[in-house]
Amino acid sequence: MTRTNLQALPRSAGVWEQAWSRLRQDRVGMASLAVTLCFIVLVLLAQLGLVASGWQMEVGTPFAPPHFIGKITDGSQSAVVAGIDGPNVDISDVDPLAPRYAEWSERAARFKTIVSAKSDTLPFGGDQLGRDVLSKVVKGAQVSITVGLAAALMATLIGTVLGAVAGYFGGRVGDLLEWIYNVFTAIPYILLVFALAAVLKSGPLAKTLGGGVWSLVIILGLVGWTGIYRLVRAEYMKHRSREYVRAAEAIGATHAARMFSHILPNVSHVVLVQLSLHVVGFIKAEVILSFLGLGVPIDMVSWGTMLSEAQNELVLGKWWQIVAATAFMATFVTAFSLLTDALRDALDPKLR
Amino acid sequence: MHPLISVQDLRVSFRMGQRSVEAVRGVSFDIPTNSTLALVGESGSGKTVSAMSIVRLLPDNALTGAASKILYNGQDLLRAAPESLRALRGKDISVVFQDPMSSLNPVFTVGEQIAEVLAIHLGLRAHPAWERALELLDEVGIDKPRERLRAYAHELSGGQQQRVMIAMAIACEPKLLIADEPTTALDVTVQRQIMELLARLQQRSKMGMLFISHDLALVGEIASQVVVLREGTVREAGPVAGIFHAPQDAYTRALLACRPPLDARPRRLPVIGDTIPPKETAAPRRVSAAIGAVPLVEARGLRKDYPLRAGLFRRSMLQAVKGIDFEMHKGRTLGVVGESGSGKTTLAMLLTRLTDPSAGSIRFDGRDLTLLDAAQMRAYRSRIQIIFQNPYASLNPRFTVGQILNEPMAIHRIGSDADDRARRSIALLDKVGLGSDAFGKYPHEFSGGQRQRIAIARCLTMRPEIIVCDESVSALDVSVQATVLNLLLDLQEEFGLSYLFISHDLAVVKYMADDILVMHQGEVVERGNPGAIYANPQHAYTRQLLDAIPRGLSASA
Amino acid sequence: MLPYILRRVWQMIPTLLGVILLIFFLFKYFGGDPAEVMAGLKASPERIASLRAQLGLDRPVWEQLWLFVQQIFSFNWGKSWTTNEPIAQIFATRLPATLTIMVPILLLEVLLAIVAGLAVAYVRGSLSDRAIMVISTVALSVSFLVYIIVGQYLFGFVLGWFPVQGWSASFWKNLITYAPLPVALAVLVSLAPQTRLYRSFFLDEIGQDYVRTARAKGVTENAILLKHVLRNAMIPILTNVATGLPGVFIGSFLIEVFFSIPGLGREILAAVNRSDYPVIQAATVYLAALTMLINLITDVLYKLVDPRVRLT
Repeated sequence: MTRTNLQALPRSAGVWEQAWSRLRQDRVGMASLAVTLCFIVLVLLAQLGLVASGWQMEVGTPFAPPHFIGKITDGSQSAVVAGIDGPNVDISDVDPLAPRYAEWSERAARFKTIVSAKSDTLPFGGDQLGRDVLSKVVKGAQVSITVGLAAALMATLIGTVLGAVAGYFGGRVGDLLEWIYNVFTAIPYILLVFALAAVLKSGPLAKTLGGGVWSLVIILGLVGWTGIYRLVRAEYMKHRSREYVRAAEAIGATHAARMFSHILPNVSHVVLVQLSLHVVGFIKAEVILSFLGLGVPIDMVSWGTMLSEAQNELVLGKWWQIVAATAFMATFVTAFSLLTDALRDALDPKLR
Repeated sequence: MHPLISVQDLRVSFRMGQRSVEAVRGVSFDIPTNSTLALVGESGSGKTVSAMSIVRLLPDNALTGAASKILYNGQDLLRAAPESLRALRGKDISVVFQDPMSSLNPVFTVGEQIAEVLAIHLGLRAHPAWERALELLDEVGIDKPRERLRAYAHELSGGQQQRVMIAMAIACEPKLLIADEPTTALDVTVQRQIMELLARLQQRSKMGMLFISHDLALVGEIASQVVVLREGTVREAGPVAGIFHAPQDAYTRALLACRPPLDARPRRLPVIGDTIPPKETAAPRRVSAAIGAVPLVEARGLRKDYPLRAGLFRRSMLQAVKGIDFEMHKGRTLGVVGESGSGKTTLAMLLTRLTDPSAGSIRFDGRDLTLLDAAQMRAYRSRIQIIFQNPYASLNPRFTVGQILNEPMAIHRIGSDADDRARRSIALLDKVGLGSDAFGKYPHEFSGGQRQRIAIARCLTMRPEIIVCDESVSALDVSVQATVLNLLLDLQEEFGLSYLFISHDLAVVKYMADDILVMHQGEVVERGNPGAIYANPQHAYTRQLLDAIPRGLSASA
Repeated sequence: MLPYILRRVWQMIPTLLGVILLIFFLFKYFGGDPAEVMAGLKASPERIASLRAQLGLDRPVWEQLWLFVQQIFSFNWGKSWTTNEPIAQIFATRLPATLTIMVPILLLEVLLAIVAGLAVAYVRGSLSDRAIMVISTVALSVSFLVYIIVGQYLFGFVLGWFPVQGWSASFWKNLITYAPLPVALAVLVSLAPQTRLYRSFFLDEIGQDYVRTARAKGVTENAILLKHVLRNAMIPILTNVATGLPGVFIGSFLIEVFFSIPGLGREILAAVNRSDYPVIQAATVYLAALTMLINLITDVLYKLVDPRVRLT
């Protein structure tokens, strides 16, 4: 038989191809995918500095309302401090510099200075310092989503590798890993996060990690691997005594071949779904941690810091920051969650 | 005589997403009072769905045809209100299911579950219910019934669990008992006891029984009427004598014929028009290869213990295999027969070194296999191969057939390059009767019998000398079994293969094997030539096994 | 039973040791220098050195570790670095407030989720299923923070139904006046996911063979759900409750911060912000031990709920 004959043989669709074609028919799933991709593009643009890089600039008046509300004209916006009411005393006869004022004013007037006009309204409104809420929420998206994704990837990687080894080999190695797992899970999740946060805040690593998001990613990744470990370990234990793995052993496949070529493709859909679930969980955790001041450093913005500012603004009647942050976060998390559900259904339609 | 239940033009289909799959396509039969009607068919025949339609215990996505009727007592059960149907279930019509372990509620005691049905239909509570439950347990033959009342399902053996299910079913003296493959999940000796129990109960209470099975021989012993189903339609129906002695339909004839007969040894088994035409279905007897001077495999004193954890410090051992000797010769088949717990599967694991023996030696080609380390053993793996029982689990669902066949060749460096290996794979696929089209497909696209053939092809890629068949045909339908058995025999003739053929089915083992070992609780209780063992069993257990084999109509006549 | 408990306690020891080691080395090697932290920002090197000697930080590592272990088992942690309050007293005084909030939350969550889960499982139509899933997904995508902020604003500030913040010294006043708003918010947020979870437990049981047997016996659908399915679903529900129990003791620090409730969670959060290591270390080790104890009790309780469990 020639080579062309081999090509001519019919090829059936594999798991991923089938999942994709099932996903394509799920309208909710495709919509969520589209929304998620929009956000990802936005995040990438923000990362590259093409969008929202100037979020820190105070381009508006303090608490500038959104465009559709319009300028606040009732005087409640002005932060002007009332001047001293009193007799206007002329002290020019004792003031030694008095003769020079006119000259200075004239010289100063010759220099062009740029005074940025502070807008009275901004697309999504402004915060207390007059910063553009839209830019903040986009930048915040970049930070929160990046942290969520990176931490989820880290946790998934750790959990999968450890779970595979523990589930497949069992024995002493499995016992050791179980011990580590027990130690980590004996400590309540939040406490471990707090302990790590406390340590990384004031310890020697604080300087190397330089604040920034990486300490947060490490904290979440180091605490969050346990759930995936448990699942992957259970899957590997289930599969290792399945007959197709036995058959692989019988034909002489090595341990590595059995673990990665045989079992892993049968487990990867579980891992993918777990990864997605953890992304959502970590984003929400980051928001809470940043709110408490334990997350991103002060000079960065995330949805959490926006909520923390918004807490005080609400009683003043300024609601645009909290609405913007909540809306963006809710949209992304909803889309991503629905995408995860659709993905899970597409990969294993029996589970309903 | 007026039938108890009349099923007329039953059509059932299942809604799966967008499509609809027809399971039953116009089946009609009448169930008489005071006798047993058997529904016989293989998987996919629609027998269970038909029976479950009577009590409307179908899944939510089932649709019955508009013209279908099931008449009982003048009422059409398919159109009855849910409440009146509920009143019938457990009282007029009860069901015994196939798997007693999962059919019993794990968190309630046996007594509580029997008392429940007494409370619903007969209004018995507390002490009277308990006493009646006790009587029922006694009637179904459970020993120490007073203690068993407080037992949970998992504390009973399979046979006892099924007796409890039967007790619940007959508690309210039903007019019809539907038994859905009640013995399929049980050992063959237990099967016989349950069959006798059912027959006795039916005669004593004069109830009608609808008995569902895939085993025609089994059915022949208990039924007075038989309905044969295939793919949702009735192929033949009538009194049992007619079915067995003068079958009209080709399918019925094939069903009767393709079981390996106990008293003859044809060269090949007849099959039901499958892709491999049998070479010769005519009379000539199968001849075994001659016994060579030197055995191919010599095993001595094989023992395997599994540690059990019991108590704080004690560790007791489960002795799966207790010191076994056997020999295998080239070109011949060594059959191993036994029930669950006999150690026969452990033997398969030991020979292929998928598990290590606690003691003993296995000599093959001048070396003791038990002394080899992993790297040395790899070279021998290609020479001793195994086909597992479950065709749905022994192939990696994520590999294509091409990848499955390619892997062993890549490991043992057979074939010069990927193309060469692909060509060899396709040649083997032809040999086992699956075309080259199978190369790019995934296992889930094939039936059970086809998957076993892929597994056989996988073994053949390595040109083994010994193949261990560990219950390789037990999970297959009878007609498909014959095809696979024929294939194994063809390959044995062509390549001079030696088989270790393991099964709980004495008829199949007797047909396939040249020498037999009978195993019971880890020991060989009898060994010898199949004909001799059948004609003149020495050990009590062997006799018990032989008695348990369903013989069909001839035995009860 | 007793051999089982003894064996489990024996098995817990390596885990407890692991936790102790982890916390000790985490704070020792990754945390800041305690002497520097305690002395404050403007301390002189001599002050730091003397503090270090006082705390025993100049002794060899294993001596410090031994000291640490001793402190744990004698329940003597010394005092907080910043407030100088004995740590044992900190725990004792803060725990009641936390429990007053968390125990009602747990009870209400479980009961409401069981009822809602049963109701949804009973209906089981695909339309209501999908609707509930989407609603709960959207509800879950909003951060807990937002619920608290808006809830506090709406019900406390604007409508004035509940006090926005506060706590008192009387248990009953707390339970009736100050606890309802935070408890209601917390239960509201967790209701959707909890119901989904319990619904999946119930649906799993409904699909089992023994339910088919019950139908074949003529049991009504209601009895199937309330007697057969609920009883079996108690097993995963027990697991779920047990997993949440340690959280009851830590408390929800968010709630405590927002509502100014002097509970354990807020205390630990404050400790983190001011790098008060002894408090964090003590809380972590004791709560880890408590978690292990709860696990042991749960496993014993399984025997009551699931007769298949063999305590070997």
